[in-house]
Amino acid sequence: MAHIGKEELAVYAADPDAIDAARCVEIEREIAACAECRTTFEFLAVADDELSDPDVWEPLTGSQTLDSMRAHGARIAAEDEEAAALVQPLLDAPVLAAWWPFRSKRYLTGGVVRKLLAHAATLHEREPREALIFADAAITVAHALPDDAYVAKAVYELRGSAWKERANALRFLGRYDEGLESLQRAERAYQKLTFPAFGLASVAYLRAGILLEQQRYGEATEAAVIAERAFCSLSDAERQMGALHLRAYIAFELRQFETAIQLFRRVSEYGEERNDALWIARAAQALGNCYLDAQNAAEASMQFHTALTLFRELGQRTEIIRTEWGVARLIMHGGNLDEAIRRLRAVVAGLISTGMVTDAALAGLDLTEILLSREQMRQIVALTKHLFTVFIKAGMLTGALTAIAYLKEAAESGRLTNADVAAVRSFLRRAERQPALLFVPPPATP
Amino acid sequence: MGRKPGAAITPEEESDVEEPCEGVRTSSPPGGGDALAFEEAYLRFAPLLRKIAVRKFHIPRADAETLVHDIFATYLMHASSVRNLEPYLIGAICNASRHYLRRRDAADALFCDETPCMATPDDELLREVDRKLLLSRALAGIGERCRDLLHRYYLRGETTQAIADDIRSTPGSVLVFLHQCRKRARAALDQSSGGR
Repeated sequence: MAHIGKEELAVYAADPDAIDAARCVEIEREIAACAECRTTFEFLAVADDELSDPDVWEPLTGSQTLDSMRAHGARIAAEDEEAAALVQPLLDAPVLAAWWPFRSKRYLTGGVVRKLLAHAATLHEREPREALIFADAAITVAHALPDDAYVAKAVYELRGSAWKERANALRFLGRYDEGLESLQRAERAYQKLTFPAFGLASVAYLRAGILLEQQRYGEATEAAVIAERAFCSLSDAERQMGALHLRAYIAFELRQFETAIQLFRRVSEYGEERNDALWIARAAQALGNCYLDAQNAAEASMQFHTALTLFRELGQRTEIIRTEWGVARLIMHGGNLDEAIRRLRAVVAGLISTGMVTDAALAGLDLTEILLSREQMRQIVALTKHLFTVFIKAGMLTGALTAIAYLKEAAESGRLTNADVAAVRSFLRRAERQPALLFVPPPATP
Repeated sequence: MGRKPGAAITPEEESDVEEPCEGVRTSSPPGGGDALAFEEAYLRFAPLLRKIAVRKFHIPRADAETLVHDIFATYLMHASSVRNLEPYLIGAICNASRHYLRRRDAADALFCDETPCMATPDDELLREVDRKLLLSRALAGIGERCRDLLHRYYLRGETTQAIADDIRSTPGSVLVFLHQCRKRARAALDQSSGGR
């Protein structure tokens, strides 16, 4: 039998009813018997199926959704452009930001909210008070917008982000309870969205960080797990690793070294899978600290070596110094105290030069421990005097300064103990994020 | 250990890392405020998201359309915080679909827990979406009369009789026209595929 003509096959594929029944039977028989005819028919049938798909036609003939997205996209672009000019004068004058946006309705746009939040995000670590002002201004604008200001209730994305940024600023100000309250507000806003997962994941991550600062380790772990799962579900592997790293760090703080090591190893594997030197280095540094505190000097040494090599390749000066700090502690635990002193002095100087004065003080405490074991009080006094000056120059006139002063006086009077050093260390670690915290000296031992 | 690792997450945090995710193609998100790039991203990914919602989560097409609309509308409000658009959007449709089903008491978890997530598109689906995107582009180059004929017949579901009446022809001729237009589309598609 001759092949069925393509024209007839096309008619059959498109509309079998247009062909009489007897001929249909013949065509079907031929399609079953002839591979070439079958291939042609299948192509035609597939083409029919594809041409019936509205997605194929959307770019050509449009759709309600496409129209809505075009309008939404154009509006956001226009808002952002206008906001750039409107908000610029406020960026260098945070005080203005508190009231300026309400002078005119022109300020009541999502673009202004985004600009204010973007600026707050650049400030929260360095200038958390200013970040808070901008976040609060963003909250006010976001709430002044009508609930239906944007399609898909997208105004709640702005509100959620604004509350989240406020929480971020409060975290850096050490105002943890208020930070947690802000996160609740952010959560409530995000839950109004059809797709709240990204916002909720970020809220969980921030909550874990704040709870960690509050030493509420159990709750912090729960929040970190939620963040990790949520970022995983969004295929955001980088943020997922951030949450996993945080969870590992909480385990480290709890001195659950086995768990911490297992989790940091997962971070390391992630880095290796992606050939990402930064993640490998971060994990190696953390693992070095875990093994060091778990009394596994050999493994700690290997991990610190890996971290140092990679951080040097990456040119991450601060992390190089932090890793060298770990190596110095390792040498200290190994008993080579002269070498440990030499290295810790270099670490303290390095941390001061990079502006990390709290870490410098903490490394100084490691040095103090060694000097104390050798009863070298004059050297401790010199070290604490230096740290005292550094804190003053850095404008850190907080409880941390009192703690350093206490250390200096105790060394000067010759009554400094290891318990004093431990108390100051514990205080300094909390005081960095809680400037209002007051230092209370430990009770004198008889 | 030095400082705590709890880095802040903010809507504006941008990544300098383009990180590929297994099984998912990577793509940079359009920058905030770029309406054209946003439309391109919508046209490129919306079909895939709709298909995932309909085929993998069995959500009715009309509701899937709403989910996709809302995902893009929300995305645009925080576009600068998205590091890698395609995996983000796939995660978004997975979560939005589960949220939708949860509201209908058909699922109890907000976040997808499966590994890999059931929304992860398989190669066949990705190929289909790519092919249909190409077909769209091919249809743009086959002439208005052909495009209109195919649109009326395939998408609007008009019968050959109705079309024939409208263009003063016969249903048989309409079928022949349709075949010729399909051939044109096919040729344009082959050209597009070859030119990729």
